[in-house]
Amino acid sequence: MNYKLVARITGFSLLIEAAAMLLPLTVSLLYGESPVPFLIAILIICAAAVGPVTLLRPRQEFFAREGFFTVGLIWVLFGVFGALPFRFSGQPQFASFIDCFFETISGFTTTGATILSEIESLPHGLLFWRSFTHWLGGMGVLILTTALLPMLGISSNYLIRAESPGPVKSKLVPRASQSSKILYGIYLALTGAEAVILRIVGMNWFDAVTHAFATAGTGGFSTKNASIAAFNSPAIEMVCTLFMLLFSINFAVYFLIITGKAKQALKSDELRFFLGMVAIATCVIAWNLRDYYSSILECLRYAVFQVATVVSTTGFVSADFDLWPEFSKVILVVLMFAGACAGSTGGGMKCSRILVLYRSAKREVRSIVHPRAVEVVRLDGAPLSERTLQTTQSYFIINIFLVFSMAMVVGLDNFSFGSTLTAVITCINNVGPGLEAVGPTCNFAGLSYLSKLVLSFAMVLGRLEMYPILVLFSRSAWKRS
Amino acid sequence: MNIIIAGGGKVGGTLAEQLAAEGHSVTIIDVDQNTLDRLNNQLDVMCIRGSCTSRGTLIEAGAGDADVIIAATDSDEVNLLCCHSAHRLGIPHSVARVRDTSYINDMDALKRDLGITLLVNPELSAAVEISRILRFPSAANVETFARGRVELVSFQVQPQDFVADRSLADLSSKIQSLPILFCAAERGDSVFIPNGATVLHQGDRVYMAGTPGGIHQFFRLLGRNDHRIKNVFIVGGGRIVFYLLVQLERLGMSCKVVEKDGDRCRQLAEAFLKSLIIHGDGTDPELLTEERMSASDAFIALTDRDEDNLIISLYAHQEGVPKVVAKSSHQNYTSIARSAGVESVVSPKLTTAYQILRLIRGLQNSKGSSMTALYRIAGGRAEAMEFRVRPDDDHLGVPLKDLSRHLRPGVLIAVIVRDGSVIIPDGSTCLHAEDDVIVVAQNSGITDLDDIYTAG
Repeated sequence: MNYKLVARITGFSLLIEAAAMLLPLTVSLLYGESPVPFLIAILIICAAAVGPVTLLRPRQEFFAREGFFTVGLIWVLFGVFGALPFRFSGQPQFASFIDCFFETISGFTTTGATILSEIESLPHGLLFWRSFTHWLGGMGVLILTTALLPMLGISSNYLIRAESPGPVKSKLVPRASQSSKILYGIYLALTGAEAVILRIVGMNWFDAVTHAFATAGTGGFSTKNASIAAFNSPAIEMVCTLFMLLFSINFAVYFLIITGKAKQALKSDELRFFLGMVAIATCVIAWNLRDYYSSILECLRYAVFQVATVVSTTGFVSADFDLWPEFSKVILVVLMFAGACAGSTGGGMKCSRILVLYRSAKREVRSIVHPRAVEVVRLDGAPLSERTLQTTQSYFIINIFLVFSMAMVVGLDNFSFGSTLTAVITCINNVGPGLEAVGPTCNFAGLSYLSKLVLSFAMVLGRLEMYPILVLFSRSAWKRS
Repeated sequence: MNIIIAGGGKVGGTLAEQLAAEGHSVTIIDVDQNTLDRLNNQLDVMCIRGSCTSRGTLIEAGAGDADVIIAATDSDEVNLLCCHSAHRLGIPHSVARVRDTSYINDMDALKRDLGITLLVNPELSAAVEISRILRFPSAANVETFARGRVELVSFQVQPQDFVADRSLADLSSKIQSLPILFCAAERGDSVFIPNGATVLHQGDRVYMAGTPGGIHQFFRLLGRNDHRIKNVFIVGGGRIVFYLLVQLERLGMSCKVVEKDGDRCRQLAEAFLKSLIIHGDGTDPELLTEERMSASDAFIALTDRDEDNLIISLYAHQEGVPKVVAKSSHQNYTSIARSAGVESVVSPKLTTAYQILRLIRGLQNSKGSSMTALYRIAGGRAEAMEFRVRPDDDHLGVPLKDLSRHLRPGVLIAVIVRDGSVIIPDGSTCLHAEDDVIVVAQNSGITDLDDIYTAG
């Protein structure tokens, strides 16, 4: 393992995090609040990062092992250092460092699970930082690093592959740093568009920008205690629904549309599956809610928002779906698992994986009739290698295995079965709210520190799609030879 | 004509034999001395050892006054480069054999850019032939003329057929209205051109030309159940299958392919969505039973070994598959297969050789290439040819009943295609300029429409 180079890249990434903190610091100054928490955090980060960045003269060897290791390390450190402003804010809700860490990890992994019960009283600077972590984490902090620092000179390929290892190719153009820039361009443009539209339909600039950040990263932190429901505005809900869905579509689709290949983009199996799933879930839930709301339009309004927020793994709330009929709740939990499209900012299992799993299962069944038939599983018409199928299948198995083992640990807190299980599911799929004790109107404050650490771990696992974190626990990654 | 053949393999050897027999001076280039020795002993040709892509070897082989070069080595790229070099050395016509599936879409561009007259793809030609046979399950072999307006098919007379044991004149009332003509018949080892007095017997193989619709109607009259083929069972996954599946899938047939090489199966499965690819030994009857071969409408044997093809197609025939096609490179096996009941035999090598021969005969004609198609039928003992009538033809406007006196024996003017409509000629029909005429002749060597008349 090339530790020196890993340390150097980590140092650079942390400096970017420090630079990102200048933005909430400015917000603090604008609102006449104390910038001290951010100043202290920036100083600590610089002190920690300056050594590896300036002193080390590493060799340039950088391979998959280093890539996965760096990604895992950076995500944990981002959580630790990103928690500093919360810790130094002196807010009673942030008295424990583990709570601060949970909140930050929840931000960077775009989960949106919070330990805060009273949000609106927090200073603007902190709220801004809280939402800004969503925006930074949504696209991936390393994609940002490679976009900004191509001079690192190492094969950033391994980094990007480790951070967004979805089953779909993430490169748009031959050069990795160029791809990152294009993705960030699309990301920035969509976020800007949403902020402006939210301002037009009635939010103030601060709420518009923070909610745009939270939507873009498909995070779900709101600046209101009651989340989106606080605005009680169908227009705002519509805009949020639209953008939540837009951000859960593979960004390569937008790249294709921009470069005039819209036809090719719309042919994507995954996109069709995703949109079909959203449409069907919305209709079924709206039908199931017919006795709960006064008109069919109301039913649709709440159904589509909740479906979009869960499937995109954002986690905004416009209605307390914990009070909805069980059928709707089950559908929402299933959607949490399915998640968004690969190559988007959304979390979950990803639609393309579901499609691949479904098709390979279908092939298994067919092979009983024709045991010696050779059949190829395809996505978008292109054949997938057996290796890809194996990776996808083991991904699914690891996911289920981890959900149940972590649910056992969280079970020690003795909450109801539904709360325990959905707490893990919502965290590993980066959604935000679960059901019952961790439902849309509740929060994670009541859990033990152990559960909070386990759930933080679940969020990073889910965001990095398991492997980069699991590889840290593999002995072969640490061996010298 | 002076002809250079690069590569003395299967196709090269067959061509050399045929062309030398027709009186051309043939030079063969090959890198292998043994091949050259063997050819030198068998044929009256000149043999040169060397690389056919080198200019020196080509010049040594007489590139200066050669009329045609035929590149038929094992390597596509060598063939293409050879033709290109020949083009630069001033040989006016060149033929390259190109087999790789990845060139399939580049054929026109390659021809244009490298100055090649004809690109032949034996596997593609074989696949086209097989798909034609499957479209006409009642007929054994199908050849097309005039861009598919006219087809030439053969069938074997069964004892219960109404055509059996009656003279053709008797039959005319029943089939006169159909646009078809019996143009050759094969009985035992002899081939003859039928006339009104001919009586067909059980076991005769009759060659019939006509429009596709007419042939279809005739088979219906004959009571042959000409149902469409829906399920095709293929053994062997070579190059032919790649071309064949493209065509069969387009025709809406569902195909099952058995291939024993795993990687090859994977390639096929990646390329073809609708077909079922089975990894296994297609010569194993147990596998064939498990995959319900006997329930399919057609069986095609395309393995690399002629012997295997023959045996498994006999097996399929015995199991009651209505239509069985076998690939065979050896002409000798064709008659064995036929006598055992497998009527359709396809040979990529011969198909290619005929394709090239057709071009050479066309080129040979000093007035330009008026021959547009040539097929050998009845095991090579007769030929069916298509000519374009030139405006300066001496026999324009003469009714056929007067013309027939001048025709050489064993020659029949079978079909005339005029302005896109198909005419089955009778005594009063005349030839017009720009007509496409399909001629069936017992004896070979006809290269021009003038050749069908007796001298003087």
